[in-house]
Amino acid sequence: MTAVLSNPVFREPSLLGGPVREIEFRDAIREAMSEEMRRDKRVFLLGEEVAQYDGAYKVSKGMLAEFGPRRIIDTPISESGFAGMAIGAAAMGLRPIVEFMSWSFSLVAADPILNNAPKMLYMSGGQLGCPIVFRGNDGAGGQLGSTHSWCVEGLYSNVPGVKIVIPSCPADAKGLMKTAIRDDDPVFFLESERMLGSKGHVPEGEYLIPFGHAAVRRAGAHCTLASWGRPVNFCLEAAEILAKEGIDCEVIDLRTIRPLDLPTVVKSVKKTNCAVVVDQSWSFASPGGELAALIHKHCFDDLDNFVHRVHSDDVPTPYSAKLEQEYLPNVRKICEAVRSATYRA
Amino acid sequence: MPIELTMPRLSDTMEAGTVIKWNVKEGDSVKSGAVVADIETDKATMEMPCFDDGRIAALLVEPGKQVKVGTTIALLALEGEDVAAVKAGGAKSGGAAAAAPAAKPAPAAKPAHVAAPAPTPVSQTETRHGMEEFSEGGPRMRVSPVARRMAEEHGVDIRNVAGTGPGGRIIKRDVELAIENKSARSAASIAPAQALAVSTGGVQTPSAPLALSLPGRDVALSGMRQTIARRLVESKTTIPHYQVTMKFDMDRLIDLRQSYNEKLKASGVKLSVNDFLVRACALAMAEHPYFNASFAGDHVRIHEVVNIGVAISLPEEKGGGLVVGVIKDADHKSLRQISLEAKALAEKARTKGLSVQDMSDATFTISNLGMFGVEHFTAIINPPNSAILACGAAVQQPVVRDGALVVGTQMQATLSLDHRVIDGAMAAQYLASLKEFIEEPETLVV
Amino acid sequence: MATTTPSGSAGTPSSALPATPRKLPSLPPATLIKWLRDMHLIREFEVRCTQSYQDKKIGGFCHVYIGQEAVAVGCTQAVKPEDPIITAYRDHGHALARGMTARACMAEMYGKVGGCAKGKGGSMHMFDRPNNLYGGHGIVGAQTPLGAGLAFATKYEDEVINGGKNSRVTLCFLGDGAVNQGAFYEAMNLAGLFDIPVIFIVENNGYSMGTAIDRGTTMSHELTIKGRAHGLKEATIDGMDLLAVYHDMHELAEWCRANSRPAFVDMKCYRYKGHSMSDPRKYRTREEEERYESNDAIAKFEKALIDHGVVTEESVKEMLKGVREEVRDSIQFSSESPEPPMSDLYTDVFVEPWGRYTGSSLPEFMGGADNVCGFRATDGKEGLV
Repeated sequence: MTAVLSNPVFREPSLLGGPVREIEFRDAIREAMSEEMRRDKRVFLLGEEVAQYDGAYKVSKGMLAEFGPRRIIDTPISESGFAGMAIGAAAMGLRPIVEFMSWSFSLVAADPILNNAPKMLYMSGGQLGCPIVFRGNDGAGGQLGSTHSWCVEGLYSNVPGVKIVIPSCPADAKGLMKTAIRDDDPVFFLESERMLGSKGHVPEGEYLIPFGHAAVRRAGAHCTLASWGRPVNFCLEAAEILAKEGIDCEVIDLRTIRPLDLPTVVKSVKKTNCAVVVDQSWSFASPGGELAALIHKHCFDDLDNFVHRVHSDDVPTPYSAKLEQEYLPNVRKICEAVRSATYRA
Repeated sequence: MPIELTMPRLSDTMEAGTVIKWNVKEGDSVKSGAVVADIETDKATMEMPCFDDGRIAALLVEPGKQVKVGTTIALLALEGEDVAAVKAGGAKSGGAAAAAPAAKPAPAAKPAHVAAPAPTPVSQTETRHGMEEFSEGGPRMRVSPVARRMAEEHGVDIRNVAGTGPGGRIIKRDVELAIENKSARSAASIAPAQALAVSTGGVQTPSAPLALSLPGRDVALSGMRQTIARRLVESKTTIPHYQVTMKFDMDRLIDLRQSYNEKLKASGVKLSVNDFLVRACALAMAEHPYFNASFAGDHVRIHEVVNIGVAISLPEEKGGGLVVGVIKDADHKSLRQISLEAKALAEKARTKGLSVQDMSDATFTISNLGMFGVEHFTAIINPPNSAILACGAAVQQPVVRDGALVVGTQMQATLSLDHRVIDGAMAAQYLASLKEFIEEPETLVV
Repeated sequence: MATTTPSGSAGTPSSALPATPRKLPSLPPATLIKWLRDMHLIREFEVRCTQSYQDKKIGGFCHVYIGQEAVAVGCTQAVKPEDPIITAYRDHGHALARGMTARACMAEMYGKVGGCAKGKGGSMHMFDRPNNLYGGHGIVGAQTPLGAGLAFATKYEDEVINGGKNSRVTLCFLGDGAVNQGAFYEAMNLAGLFDIPVIFIVENNGYSMGTAIDRGTTMSHELTIKGRAHGLKEATIDGMDLLAVYHDMHELAEWCRANSRPAFVDMKCYRYKGHSMSDPRKYRTREEEERYESNDAIAKFEKALIDHGVVTEESVKEMLKGVREEVRDSIQFSSESPEPPMSDLYTDVFVEPWGRYTGSSLPEFMGGADNVCGFRATDGKEGLV
């Protein structure tokens, strides 16, 4: 029996009533991929160091042993080539999972992933789909330097034809990855190197989380915090701090940027009259800006203040730990934004 | 069927072309693919092929003439067709070459004489990219959308709500407070914000920007002026004003004033004509309560206190403008008290400026330009009052008394009234009461 | 393995082109006649394409294949219908050779609903799934990793899913200009590494747009060295001779199929017209063009068939009439075919609009998703976004 999690208010999945286990984020992704590969022989994984090295970040650990070298494939350092090759294979009907060791490296493969995968169905008049998943580490925080710390959702969200998924916890990572693999369209699955070791509870048994369904992580009355990916966790931390000041935040985890679950956000803002969007990409022309514009449009008469936004600072990512932590959309910035938005500054 | 050879589109931006040279003559045989002409396009000189076998029956365009793409430029007779007949038949479609002026070879180029459009001024948003605070040039009244909506839903006049947000913005909790107060007092409150708050909240003058191009200079509006502009426009456009004027004999009042001032010289009190007017107007309210009232949408609110506002003009060095100092409970204050207060208010206004308290809660206003020699003028009602009295100078002039022509001192006073509250007859009656007080000024002392 | 070849690359003047009459392959006459007809069809189709473009019926870019017909027909016929084919933007010839109707091809360029991609692809994006044609790609070189992927997939399907042996070979066409793109090197590297049965056929017509090959590519006189560097099997083939193309490609394809290995073909050919419609061809001489045109592949094959008695001049004339009629019909069809409805603007962005899956694989999601937000692709409405 497959359970479906739909818009649950769960921080503890045990609230769903079934047994749960605590696992790491990387385990959740591996479990999802492995379950789907057992189920459907068309699914295979390729990328740098995914097989014999057991994965540069150990996400695919043990998968070579289970599935063999025909289905867990080490590629040379050749993102443009192997991304294009995988897209060709998807056009033929296979269901590849392509790992970018870092989404920063996807820039080298920008032409195939942006010009071929999302456009094939449209250009061919519906004849050729592209059921492919690209996944990898996205975001800054590990002192990896400016070329290895991209938040590609800031670039790729703009493109029609792509689905962008960005989980914030292991339970979501697993359910969303299974959906991504079964989805017949190209999916960009954005993980976070910083979160790979984070633990979280995961329901037992098989479950999938549909795209376009946000989760209300924390209910509140005074301010809506809308976010996705790792920053959701910063929002929850901020909410705890603000609660002590008497500001009650509602935290919404969008889970997928495209498709975007706008109705959940709108419903929340109509209740709280106050919105803060937290997006780890740079602010100019970002998905955070898009969500803010949408909130202004749909909640115009319900806003007590303009929609505040918290982003990473508009600079290349610095190496220094102190500077990098300041650069991120951190808890302090979120608190300041909420206080300003609620006129409690 | 003969084939019409048309000016081909040889580049994706080509709109017209010129035959530079025909490579065939009338009567020539051609095969598909033969180059029949060299064509000059917007980009280059290209070869024009024909696509069928046949004989050239007619060349319809001279070299050097520019024609639009699609124009028939030659006729091709197919196998079995008579060349002469085809030529005589002429082009059926496209018509004769629509010759554009031969001079310009580049049809797609814009003519040089078209002036470039004036560059749009760079807006603040572009120059201040990234900055989220713009403190100048905001809306006429800063209200958050939800606050505005809530106020509307609960029948609260947003203009009466004090804004505690940045720049005086009225926000949700301000309206919530107002709603609470409303239900507590169940009346439209005359909140402090009704006063001429001299905040720097940007006020937009409703008139369009000047289109004049005369030489001059621009003077920025002070906060005071902006507020005056806003409030008086509101007043004039929402209140149906009309005026009623009456003349008053001032002789006895002037005499009385003189004698009082002599007696009061020691105590430092100097009564002015205006002080008498203030008391007169205040006392008249007893019989004419509608002059001490405010229009409140579906009802008239008659105030229980009489607060007379006195218009005080400020010197230009202080930014100029006009403020209204309020003498509270004027009907219970003596002439002496009124005088002291009025002077204090005027002094304060001209030095450190009046406080919100000083300027709030007037129920009626008097404006006096007599000291400048003005004989008659009309004033604009100071909302939420229902009336304002504009007093002119007391001027010596010939008057008729008991059928004889004598010299008397007369003053014209003009009431401006809110017709939603006060009718003409009521106005006349009020003025009549005033007349009694003013022309028998002893009555003001008691 | 390499076969007779004109000396030097197509870009340099070549004095001798072989005129050796070749033996006809032992195939039924109907097959050979079909090959001739296919070439004539492509030629006539492309001529009328040019005319349509100049009549403003076709917009955007249009790259015609005139001169290279033998390559498309010869290669296509040398492999099986289930073998995938992918090419770049000079793709009308490949589409027609593979079996797309002239109507569907012309209507696509006219931007009409009757086109193979419902008018949403255009001249550069000829896709024909039932005939295993995977485009039609505009970005130079982008199709080469895709081609490797197609072959990867057929091999994976045959061997990993079905537990058998590789049975298919993929033909991936590219121009001599694409040889300079990084993606091509990566594709060859991956193909060599993973034993992918893909044949990269460089349609070497000596020019990438206006740049002669020796101005843009190192080792242009020995292009196959690029394939050799990655361990690919090499071949150099005279693309202006249909029989040479068929024979050599067939041999090569069978080898690649059996051994599941990739190959690199330097297919020497020549395009008679410019790179695209607005190219005045100032970068080469008329003499050079005429030299190639006088050695036309279609004319040569036609002569060979006449000489061997497979066709007569009369029957060829009849064939040409039929071809012209077919192309004229395609133009008529395209003119009359309706333009796509406005709602088509929003279709085929995603395989399914979010929430309703009709494919085989995703039944477990919640139905009745009333708070779906995002793309309502099939009914064309904007939804909340």
